[in-house]
Amino acid sequence: MGRLFLMHLDGNVYSCKHCRTQLGVASDIISKAFHCRHGKAYLFHKVANVTSGVKEDRMMMTGMHTVSDIFCVGCGSIVGWKYEAAHEKSQRYKEGKFILERYKVSGPDGSQYWIPQDPHLGGSDADDI
Amino acid sequence: MGGFEDDEPPSKRARASSVESASLPDCFLFSKSANPLGSTMARPLPSQGKEAMVGSKGVIKKEEFVRIISKTLYSLGYEKSGAVLEEESGITLHNPMVNLFREQVIDGNWDNAVVTLNKIGLQDVNIMKSAAFLILEQKFFELLRNDNVMGAMKTLRREITPLGVNRKRVHELSTCMISCSPQQLFLGFSKLGIDSSSSRFKLLEELQKVLPPTVMVPERRLENLVEQALTVQRDACYFHNSVDGLSLYIDHHCGKDQLPSRTLQVLHAHHDEVWFVQFSNNGKYLASASNDKSAIIWEVNEDGELLLRHTLSGHQKSVMMVAWSSDDCQLLTCGQEEAIRRWDVKSGKCLHVYEHPGIGLRSCAWFRDGKQILSGLADQTFCIWDLDGKEVDCWKGQRSATTSDFAVAKDGNLIISLSRDNAILLFDRETKHERIIEEGSTITSFSLSEDGDFLLVNLVSEEIHLWNIRNDPVRVNRYNGHKHSRFVIRSCFGGSEQAFIASGSEDSQV
Repeated sequence: MGRLFLMHLDGNVYSCKHCRTQLGVASDIISKAFHCRHGKAYLFHKVANVTSGVKEDRMMMTGMHTVSDIFCVGCGSIVGWKYEAAHEKSQRYKEGKFILERYKVSGPDGSQYWIPQDPHLGGSDADDI
Repeated sequence: MGGFEDDEPPSKRARASSVESASLPDCFLFSKSANPLGSTMARPLPSQGKEAMVGSKGVIKKEEFVRIISKTLYSLGYEKSGAVLEEESGITLHNPMVNLFREQVIDGNWDNAVVTLNKIGLQDVNIMKSAAFLILEQKFFELLRNDNVMGAMKTLRREITPLGVNRKRVHELSTCMISCSPQQLFLGFSKLGIDSSSSRFKLLEELQKVLPPTVMVPERRLENLVEQALTVQRDACYFHNSVDGLSLYIDHHCGKDQLPSRTLQVLHAHHDEVWFVQFSNNGKYLASASNDKSAIIWEVNEDGELLLRHTLSGHQKSVMMVAWSSDDCQLLTCGQEEAIRRWDVKSGKCLHVYEHPGIGLRSCAWFRDGKQILSGLADQTFCIWDLDGKEVDCWKGQRSATTSDFAVAKDGNLIISLSRDNAILLFDRETKHERIIEEGSTITSFSLSEDGDFLLVNLVSEEIHLWNIRNDPVRVNRYNGHKHSRFVIRSCFGGSEQAFIASGSEDSQV
């Protein structure tokens, strides 16, 4: 592997649940009303210590988006995605923002998020894949 | 000599022969002497010497070329060779008036030198006066040194002053005549040599600078031209990496093969990833730092092969970096957010452990005098320690990334550190002056050149920037081509005179 280049984050930190690499801080959360295959997801203004995958088009509940998956630099596990472009004008605010899947990260208090039994439970406005 | 009658008296024949010799051209006489039957032969063909230009491009004037060769022969001490070349080529280094002028200057024949100067045929009156001034100044000083004050005064009033040039100098000469003791004379006017002879040669050099180069060929002209050619060749050498001097026998060129591109040796001793390597300043050792919590000192043998010399164990965390003292007798190693250890290179023993309670250390560097070390801490603090582990100074940085490179330059007065994620601080501890290098993206590492004037900065945007930090920082170059996404990538200066840079890359290449 090699010596990882890591950014140190201060504050209420969300980190990778596998290797505890710091990924984002609570103050950068824009919205907690997003959903993914594994349940809740948070929209972040910016994240750290991730690498991006290839761009691809995905149809979401709110329309077609161009996204790239993001991976933890520590262990390489997928932790969310980055919005590269939104095809609907009303969704443009997401461009350049990041999604962290709540199931993949540990919260600031070390809390874990468990997959709910009913995946359809939750906000109807948010994205889902 | 067919024109003469054999019945002439001997005295008559001799006189007629003498008259005829005086009137004949030199070359004809020479030819006649060589061939007694010359009157029956055709004249020699026009020689190659008649062509005005030489060289394949036809830009070199032959006369100039031969004259600077003659000049070089004389200045190398080959008097006879110089004279033969002048005679054989028919091109004289200096015309007879100039030669006479030079002789008169060397002989201290000042009055006649000035007269001859007027006969050389210079067009520029100012040049004439400047040259005459130099000659008469020399005359003035030699008279003064011989205690001939009246003669010196006469020279100053009647010969130097009427020239009307360099009035300030004339005033100095007047002052000197009034108040200078012999010791002051020697000290105050260093251009005078110990004796007249060497000072006159110096005067001749000064005159050469004043007079047009067509009149007196400048000193070392041929050497200067050759040096210019060599400099142009070296500057045009794109892959210049040669420690040997340049040769006159062949145009200089370093091929790409001069750059290292083949694996010569694979070192097997660490048990995990190697994260840092650095050669000692003298190139005799290589230190490697590893994720296996150890560092190794390798020794470069006479064949350029690396042999394991010491394994440095004791760190409780991965060893992130090493730093050689300037005398290469000691080595610092830094465990990842742990401690710094100082080792004796010869014995491999740990001499001291530097720790800060509750806070891990991230990087280390030496001061040039070897009496203090600098460290970066995990809480973005920087500390200066003496060798016994006493903290001498401390200050706060603002960087979030977990690398905190720094370097100490200018004999310890300049501290270069990563002060923010995308900024480098250059802090002069003597003047308390701060300079900032601002980059457009996060800096992962940097490297300082040996002379302390250039900085190589690695960025997460897969670029390497070269900064000139001699004065206000100026970015002078930008490099890309390497891969960088997850890891700390470093680059460094290398090659002869540090004219190249090498960089790691995440695609397993350099």
